[in-house]
Amino acid sequence: MTVRPGERRLALVTGASRGLGEEIASFLALEGFDLVVTARGEPSLQAAASRFRSHGGSVEAVAGDVTDPRHRAEVRALVERRGRLDLLINNASELGPSPLPRLEAAPLPALERVLAVNVIAPLALVQELLSCLSAAHGSVVNISSDAALAGYPSWGMYGSSKAALDLLGLTLAHELEDRGVSVVTVDPGDLRTSMHQAAFPGTDISDRPLPSVTLPFWAWLLHQDPKLVSGRRFRAQSDRWELPV
Amino acid sequence: MIDALAGLPGPERRGADRTPEDRGIARDGVRLLVSTGPHHVDRVFRELPDVLRPGDLLVVNESATLPASLPARGSAGYFQVNLSTRYADDLWLAETRWGPGQPGPVPLFPGERFEVAGLVARALAPYPGVPRLSFLRLEGDVTGAMERSGRPIRYGYLSREYPLEAYQTVFARVPGSAEMPSAGRPFTPALLERLRAARILLAPLVLHTGVSSLELEADRPRDPPIYPEPFEVPAATATLVNRTRGCGGRVIAVGTTVARALESAVDGDIVRPMRGFTRLYLRPERGVRVVDGLLTGFHDARTTHLELLASVGGVEHLAEAYSVAVERGYLWHEFGDSHLLLPN
Repeated sequence: MTVRPGERRLALVTGASRGLGEEIASFLALEGFDLVVTARGEPSLQAAASRFRSHGGSVEAVAGDVTDPRHRAEVRALVERRGRLDLLINNASELGPSPLPRLEAAPLPALERVLAVNVIAPLALVQELLSCLSAAHGSVVNISSDAALAGYPSWGMYGSSKAALDLLGLTLAHELEDRGVSVVTVDPGDLRTSMHQAAFPGTDISDRPLPSVTLPFWAWLLHQDPKLVSGRRFRAQSDRWELPV
Repeated sequence: MIDALAGLPGPERRGADRTPEDRGIARDGVRLLVSTGPHHVDRVFRELPDVLRPGDLLVVNESATLPASLPARGSAGYFQVNLSTRYADDLWLAETRWGPGQPGPVPLFPGERFEVAGLVARALAPYPGVPRLSFLRLEGDVTGAMERSGRPIRYGYLSREYPLEAYQTVFARVPGSAEMPSAGRPFTPALLERLRAARILLAPLVLHTGVSSLELEADRPRDPPIYPEPFEVPAATATLVNRTRGCGGRVIAVGTTVARALESAVDGDIVRPMRGFTRLYLRPERGVRVVDGLLTGFHDARTTHLELLASVGGVEHLAEAYSVAVERGYLWHEFGDSHLLLPN
């Protein structure tokens, strides 16, 4: 990120009203970013936005669905008014039906929805915001999952969407290098969130850590040279975060 | 905590409260307990070349100690900020305390602004699950502030303050540790010459160690926090480690920091050049893959260090060594005596 004195950095976080997205947005506000935040539910998004505002900095909250082109146009207008985007956190995700179905019984319209939210919308945001990302030499962070790699039974819809997002991120990292934009993939690990609860309905998930467990990772990642981390995939809760030697 | 280690004597009676120099002996004049299998032999540190074999490799930490303890003033009054880990020039993980023997923690609310050694500081967030540690944003020249007002971090068991030089090892090259990588402290230039003459090899790496305050573990005895620390294993060191093992030599980590860095860089059963942050927790269940021996100090019964030691030396062997060390009056802590754990 290229910042001149007096300039404030801008971050866009999708799915910022709760869970991991709220945790990341809150930390970014404390780190001195101005924010544009989105989520589907207006009341919870506004409540989260006022918490972010208490950390200083400006926060624009716009409720909507990332698959909706009109919503993305609103977001784009807000970002373009600033002329720069330092950080795009593609966090909003769709799990699919709960309980999770096996692929043989996966309802295809639901799979289309999962792919629309987890694959198409993140790419659409990159396309639509690319000039602002490029102007700031910004970074894109795609939130993935270990389900993208593992082939866990009944995680096929979500997992395949995140696998697609992983490859999309890796390809973009190569393609956008000459635009000065870096792209990183992050698997946050199991977290005690409403999405994780939906994946395990009726199961006690209180042994999973809260999203704040990933804070040290964000503190680390946000201060690495973007060129060194672009194209890499990190696990936020792993024992090590590795850079090329 | 491992049961067999839980009953080990604490450091209270056996801790060194002064440097060896203050006790009238040279750095390399501290005692060295050499534990090989069932044998625990009393040596002096400077006899190390006679204890090791030609072809053995000592891996050392080149991290230098920072004057990381800074005076602070905020809504809570006057306190100390002990910088633990640098994430960026202006972003640090830090511990807030009232003083060396007064652990606090000093309460900070997220977003709170206060003064640290003349700089404006802002509390960003507590470390997850460890309210004693906070992420702080520090505006201005942190290195300069440390040079002006910083002191080495010290805890209540030391009888006096020492200058930063007392906390630097002969290997210190890259500033970044909140606390001295103390296993390297007894080495002297003369001893290094004699090790070289004895064809004992030396290879460097870097791991910047964070704060180790006992309260960190006392707060969470069952689930002690392992927070990430920056490390780098250079290509030449990775190669030397792999070749040494290939030739039947022993890889001896000088300090728990080195053991953690080496084991963090293991891929399969070889070490790869690597850098980044690690929070690898070495415990006996995991074992070690490339570290054959460990040269270290004597550690508190509670600490995660003991699990690391046990993962190199074995639980029973370590428990026996510690009983022997207490019986024979070895000294604990960073200015105390040394312990070499070797495989059978």
